[in-house]
Amino acid sequence: MDAILKSDLQVKDVATETKSSVFWRPTAQTGLISWLTTVDHKKIGFLYGIFALFFFLVGGFEALLIRLQLMTPNGTVLTAQQYNTMFTMHGTTMIFLAIMPLSAAFFNFIMPLQIGARDVAFPRLNAFSLWTFVAGAIILNLGWFMSAGAPDAGWTGYAPLTSKAYTPDHSVDMWIMGLQLLGVASIAASLNFIVTIINMRAPGMTMMRLPVFTWMTLITAFLIVLSFPFITVALVEIMMDRLFGTSFFEVSGGGMPILWQHLFWVFGHPEVYILILPAMGIISEILPTFSRKPLFGYPIVVFSGASIGFLGFSVWSHHMFTTGMGTVATAAFSLATMAIAVPTGVKIFNWIGTLWGGHISMRTPMMFALGFVWMFMIGGFSGVMHSAAPADAQQQDSYFVIAHFHYVLIGGSMFALLAGIHFWFPLMFGRKIGEFWGKLSFWVIFAGFNITFFPMHFLGLNGMPRRTFTYDGNLGWNSANYIATVGALILGVGIFIYFAVMVYTYFKGEKVGKDVWDARTLEWSLPNPPPEYNYRVIPTVHARDAFWYMKQNKEQIAKEDATHAKEEAAHGGIHMPHQSIYPFVASLGMLIAGIGISVMDNDPTPGFWGKKIGVTMIGGVVMLAGIYFWALEGNGGYHLHPENDGDESNGKKPAKH
Amino acid sequence: MDGHQSTIKVEGPVARSQLEVFYVTCWVTLVIFILVGAVLAYASIKFKARTTAEEKSIPPEQGHGNPLIEIGLIGASILALVVIAIPTLKGIWYTYDVPEDRKADTYEVTATGYQWWFKFDYPSEQIAGAGALATANELVIPAGRPVRVNLRTIDVIHSFWIPKLAGKVDMMPNRANHLWFQADQPGYYWGQCAEFCGDSHAVMRFRVIALGPKDFNDWLSQQTAPARDVAPPRVATQDAPKVQFASLRTFKQNETGHTAKYDISPLDAWKAQQFPEKGESVALIAQGKALFKEKACLSCHEVRGHGYAGISGPSLTHFGSRSTLAGALLENNTEQLHRWIHNPESVKAGNKMAKGYIDNNIKLTTEDEVALVAYLQSLK
Repeated sequence: MDAILKSDLQVKDVATETKSSVFWRPTAQTGLISWLTTVDHKKIGFLYGIFALFFFLVGGFEALLIRLQLMTPNGTVLTAQQYNTMFTMHGTTMIFLAIMPLSAAFFNFIMPLQIGARDVAFPRLNAFSLWTFVAGAIILNLGWFMSAGAPDAGWTGYAPLTSKAYTPDHSVDMWIMGLQLLGVASIAASLNFIVTIINMRAPGMTMMRLPVFTWMTLITAFLIVLSFPFITVALVEIMMDRLFGTSFFEVSGGGMPILWQHLFWVFGHPEVYILILPAMGIISEILPTFSRKPLFGYPIVVFSGASIGFLGFSVWSHHMFTTGMGTVATAAFSLATMAIAVPTGVKIFNWIGTLWGGHISMRTPMMFALGFVWMFMIGGFSGVMHSAAPADAQQQDSYFVIAHFHYVLIGGSMFALLAGIHFWFPLMFGRKIGEFWGKLSFWVIFAGFNITFFPMHFLGLNGMPRRTFTYDGNLGWNSANYIATVGALILGVGIFIYFAVMVYTYFKGEKVGKDVWDARTLEWSLPNPPPEYNYRVIPTVHARDAFWYMKQNKEQIAKEDATHAKEEAAHGGIHMPHQSIYPFVASLGMLIAGIGISVMDNDPTPGFWGKKIGVTMIGGVVMLAGIYFWALEGNGGYHLHPENDGDESNGKKPAKH
Repeated sequence: MDGHQSTIKVEGPVARSQLEVFYVTCWVTLVIFILVGAVLAYASIKFKARTTAEEKSIPPEQGHGNPLIEIGLIGASILALVVIAIPTLKGIWYTYDVPEDRKADTYEVTATGYQWWFKFDYPSEQIAGAGALATANELVIPAGRPVRVNLRTIDVIHSFWIPKLAGKVDMMPNRANHLWFQADQPGYYWGQCAEFCGDSHAVMRFRVIALGPKDFNDWLSQQTAPARDVAPPRVATQDAPKVQFASLRTFKQNETGHTAKYDISPLDAWKAQQFPEKGESVALIAQGKALFKEKACLSCHEVRGHGYAGISGPSLTHFGSRSTLAGALLENNTEQLHRWIHNPESVKAGNKMAKGYIDNNIKLTTEDEVALVAYLQSLK
C-alpha cells in the first residue's frame, strides 16, 4: 500500500508498539482480562445488561420481602429497621442499578448500530462509565455485609433524617457515595452518547432520519447531563454536613431541609423521564416493526419526546405539593404538570396510529410493547390525578402513589425493556426466544403485575400511607394487601420464567439468520451476532427507515457499498481501538476512595493519617494514576480487513494487521 | 373504601373539596381511557395478521402520519386538561386557608411532630404558670368550626394527615406550615404521619376527636385543671398494695394493640374513658406516683399539679382520659399500658423512652410496673 495513503492512526500504531513495555495494551480476546479491558460498545452493553439484570433480581427479592411483611396486618417477617432498609434499597436498586443500567445496555449495544457507527466516540470513557457504575453499585450494597446495615432513609434521602443526628451510622454515607459514583458514571456515559450521536452518524443519517430509539437516547443523555449535577451538589452538601459539620441542611445551624427536596427533585423529576424515555424509544421501534408500517407521526413523536424533556425540568415541585409552598407556586407546578400530559398523550395516539392499518404480527416483543401501551396509559392517568394538587394532598405518600409509579416504572419502563430484550436478542446473540415460553412469561408477568399494583390504588384512597412496615387490621386494608402479595408472588414466577427462558435461549435457543423480524432500522442489516467492527462498509442512509429502504432498493445499495468498500480499503481498512486497562484502574481507585470516605471510621487518635484519610488517599492515587496512564497511552488502535460481510460462520476470521 | 382513614367517605369540607377534584380527574381520565382504549383494542384486533401468509403478504401502505389528526388530538387533550385545571385551581385556594367569612369562628391549635408522636398545644387556653394547654396523641377540637393547625416539628420532617378531614401538610423544620379543616359532626377520626420519619414512622399515629360545643368546653375545663390527685402521700405509707391484675402477659412482636371497642362506637368509647375507673386502688396509685419520681419518669414527662415537669416527652397530666398511648399505636388500657412501659423498644423500635431506660439505668419490677400503670390511669 502506498505510504502516503496511510492514516495518522497507523503512524501512531507504530509508536504504541515501541512504548508497549511501559503502556501495556492488553489483547486478550477471551477470559476475565478481555472483559475488564474491553472497549467494544457491544461487550460493554452486554456487561451493563448482566449487572442490571442481576440487580433487578436483587431488587425484586427485596420487593417480595416487603410484600410478605405486608401480606397480613401486624406482620412479623421483618422488623421495622429491616423493612425500612428493604424499601430504601428496593427503590434505589431498581432505579439506579436496574432500570438505568438496563437502558444504558441498550444505548450501548443498539444506538451505535442504529446510526451506522463502528463504536461510540470515546470507547475507553465508555469502559470507565461501566466500571464506575459497578463501583457505585458495590458501595451502595456494602451495608448488607456490615454492622451499620444497608441504607434505610428512603431512596429520596430527605434531610434532616439523613443527618448525623438522626442516622449516625455509615449506612447513609454509603448511600451518598454510591449515588455520587453512579452519577459520575451516568454523566460520563451520557456525554459519550451525545458526542456519538451528533458526530458519528453514517452519511445520509440526518437528525430527522434518526431511529426514534436513538432520538430518545439523545434526549435522555441530555437529561442526565443537565439533571445529575443537581443531585451531585445535594449529595456533596449532605456529605459535608455529615463529615465536616457544615450546615446546609442542619436546622440548628440555620440550614434548610427544604433545600434538599428542591435539589433532589430538580434531579428527581427529570430522572423519571430518564427512566421512561428510553422505554418509549424501544416501543417506537417495536410497534412499527411488527405492524410493518413506519411510525405514525415520526416528527411529532420525536418533538413530543423533546418537549417532555424540557417540561420535565419545570415540574419538580409536584413532588412537594404537601410541603406548604403556598397557593401560587402550587398552582403553577400543578398546571405545568398537566401540560406534560399533552406530549405524553400524543405519543400514545401515534403508537395507536402506527398499529392502524398495519399487518400486526403478535410476537412476544409486540405483546410486551402493547402491554406497555396499556399499562403506561393507566400510569399516565393516575399521574394526571396527582397533578391536581388538592387531590394530591390526599394521595401524596399513600399507596395510590405507589400504584402510580409502579404502573409507570414496571408497566412502563420495565415492560419496554423486557420487550427490547426479546426484540434484540436475535441480533445480539443469534438466537431467538421461543414464542410459547415468551408469551407465557408475558401473560404471567402481566397478570401478576396488575394483581399486585391495581389494588394499591384502593389502598391509597383508603388512607394507607407508604413506607409503613405494619398496619392494624381494623382499617379496611387487609384484603387488598393480601391480594397484592399474592400478585407479587405471581409476578415473581413470571419474572422467573422470563429469565429461565432467556438463559436457556442463550445457550440452546433456536438459531436464526439475519433480520429475523423483517425490521426497519439499520442494526438489522448486520449479521448476528454483529462482528466487533459492526459495519464492514459504512452504510449510506437514504430514508428514515434506512434498512427498510435498503431492502426495497438492493441494487442501488450494493453499488454504493462496493464503492465505499474500495474507499475504505484505500484508507487502510477498518480502524479499531485498542483495549485498555486504565479505565478500570481509574474506577477501581474511585471505589477505594469511595469506601474510604463512606465506610472507614475516622481514626480518633491524633494526627492526620487516620484510616479514613489513608484509604481515601490511596484510592485517589490509584484513580489519578489510572487517568494519567490512560491519557498517556494514546488512542492506539489497529486495522481490520474483513473479506466478507463479517459472517464468521464460514470460519474465516477477518485479516488483522 | 370506607375504612377509618378513607379519603372517599369524608366528613369535612376540606377533604370533600379534595375529593371533588379527585372525582373530576377520575371521570375525565376514565372517559379518555375508555375512548383511547377502545381504539387501541380495536386496532390490535382488527389489524392483526392471523396467518403466517398474512404476515408475509405485501406490506401495508408506508404512510408517515396525518398532521390534521395529530393537531385535533392535541387540541382535544388540552381541552380535557382545562376541565381538570379549573376545579384544581379553585381547590388549591380553598384548601390553603380558612375562608375569610369563617376566620372569626376559627379555632387555632399547634401540632408538633416528634419522633414518633404528636404534641398538641392550645394557644387560646393559657394556664397560669404553665403556658398553653398541651396534650399528646389526641387532638380534641370543636365540631362544626374551622380548625387551623399550625404545623411544627422538633426533629425531622413529619406530615400531618387525617384522611377523613383533610389531605396532608408536612411539618418542616425551619418552616411555619399550617393547614385547616373542619369536622361536620362530632366524631372520632384516625390520623397518621405520612412522611417517612425514621424507624417507627409506621406507628406514628394520632386521633382527632371532634366534640359539640358543650362537650368541648367541658373537656377544656377538665384539661386545664391540674392532674387528678386521688392519693395523698400519707395513705401510701400505710398498706403496701398487692399485685392484682390477671391480665399481665407478654405480647408477640408487633401484635395488635387495640380492641374492637373503638371500631364499633369510637366516640362513646372515648367519652367513657373520661371518667375514673371503679375500684381504683388508692394505695397502688400513691406508690405509682412516688415511683414516677424515683424512676426518673419526671425527667421527660409532665404531670401538672403533681410537681412533675419534664418537657421532652408527652405531657401525662390527663393521660388517663386519652383513648390511646405510645403515639396512638396502642389502646389505653391496663394491659397495653403495661406492655408499653414494660418494654417500650419491643413496641416501638428506636423510641426515646427505651433509650431513656438504658441511659438512666431504669429497671422496673412487676410491682413497679403495676403501680405505675395504676397511677397513670388515674390521671383523668
